[in-house]
Amino acid sequence: MIVIQPLVWLVLMGYSMAGLTSNPEAAKMLGTGNYLDFMAPGVMIMTALFGGVFGGTTIVWDRRTGFLNKMLAAPIHRAAIPLGKLFSIGFQTILQALIIVIISLFLGVHFVTGFPGVLVMLILSGIFGMFMGGISLSLASRIKSMETLMAITNFLTMPLMFTSNAMFPTSAMPHWLKAIAQANPLSYAVHAMRTISTQGWIWSEIWPAVTALVVITGLMTALAIKLFARTVS
Amino acid sequence: MNNIIEARGLTKLYKGGVLAVDNVSFSVREGEIFGFLGPNGAGKSTTIAMLTTLISPTSGTAIVSGIDITKQAYQARLTIGYVSQDLAVEDALTGYENLRLQAGFYHISKKEAAIRIDEVLTMVDLKSRAKDKAETYSGGMRKRLDIACGLIHRPRLLFLDEPTLGLDIQTRREIWKYVNHLREEIKMTIFLTTHYMDEADSLCDRIAIIDRGVIKTLDTPANLKTALSAEIPGATLDDVFLHHTGHGMREDSVDKESAFRSRNQMRRARG
Repeated sequence: MIVIQPLVWLVLMGYSMAGLTSNPEAAKMLGTGNYLDFMAPGVMIMTALFGGVFGGTTIVWDRRTGFLNKMLAAPIHRAAIPLGKLFSIGFQTILQALIIVIISLFLGVHFVTGFPGVLVMLILSGIFGMFMGGISLSLASRIKSMETLMAITNFLTMPLMFTSNAMFPTSAMPHWLKAIAQANPLSYAVHAMRTISTQGWIWSEIWPAVTALVVITGLMTALAIKLFARTVS
Repeated sequence: MNNIIEARGLTKLYKGGVLAVDNVSFSVREGEIFGFLGPNGAGKSTTIAMLTTLISPTSGTAIVSGIDITKQAYQARLTIGYVSQDLAVEDALTGYENLRLQAGFYHISKKEAAIRIDEVLTMVDLKSRAKDKAETYSGGMRKRLDIACGLIHRPRLLFLDEPTLGLDIQTRREIWKYVNHLREEIKMTIFLTTHYMDEADSLCDRIAIIDRGVIKTLDTPANLKTALSAEIPGATLDDVFLHHTGHGMREDSVDKESAFRSRNQMRRARG
């Protein structure tokens, strides 16, 4: 289900924007002549965004059904529970992003770095999914009601998406929005992935973005583990 | 006889000032079925949560299987089986998969897990349905699966928190049969809570009645009834319970979450 919404974006937005962007000026901003090529990595990250942000809510359900107590009564390290959730979110995100890749290929999207590039993009999607999962797990440690948690995570996703470079190039943005977009973690992931898919292995562009993504994901994971441990002690 | 549980001044003071368990001390002997009774909100679940290391006591401690739960919670967990009142099985998984997951929680090797899963499935008569998803199970079957999960690591001590809540009389009898089997064949100690006095009367070797966080009495069912017989001739365990906990109905002080869970549990049990 998580892939449906990004898919609708990809198809509807991708095609309607294609007409607007088929000119040299737009191509310069996008870094590619084809808006779908530009958008595909953004849509992969959208999938990770939606999938990850709901991933943490499963802990609320585990708590309510009593399954969490069953895990807590077992001799497993307290950190293993949130970590396991995050890795499963990461893995699911990779599968969902793979579906987007396959459909993108059918829509004629060209990934310039080919299979190795796609592989790296999938892994980056997975890491970003874990980052979002970390946010929602951290929130879920505090917020025990499913309704409130859903409302807050929903409230998070749209602004995160629109203040990033997922849909539009930052060069087309007003200055204030550009500043936000450059600080938005979603942008790091998209920037690295888009470089790989539309430009090639330009390491000077890819490394800083990947490093930033890995660092914030690590920090978010640590926070999620800490907050989880606090709620169950 | 050895004591498998020795609670020493267990106390739990929740944030917000609710004193759920107040300086409780008692012991459970190895190999017995110990009934832990009390009205809603009396402190039963909190006591179990402390003994199973789900929450830590505000003060006091307990020695479970010779291990101090406040100091070596991890080691204590290895010896404890815990079947909550929640019917906490994963609906999307089959009975077999639920047990395999549970075996993983206890670090049981794959090969060993296969043997034990077979063993516990046979015991709770679920072998023929092991490959079906838990969502297709009836309430009684779920409970049996849940009990099987609690047995996978062959604990010395099993906590059964209201194992027959919301079940029909046939399934209740079936569960009594398993409980007796565990005690007699496997010599497992069972710590049982229930609201059914007939159940406590027929199963338990000794019974503790807790109310408002304090243990009111602790003895064999026969002695408890005899002690009251001067006042009420032919007293039943119902009479004993009411005598110690009063006749007034309780304002449930349970939090929203456990209220949701008990509703959910009853609903699932009926299905």
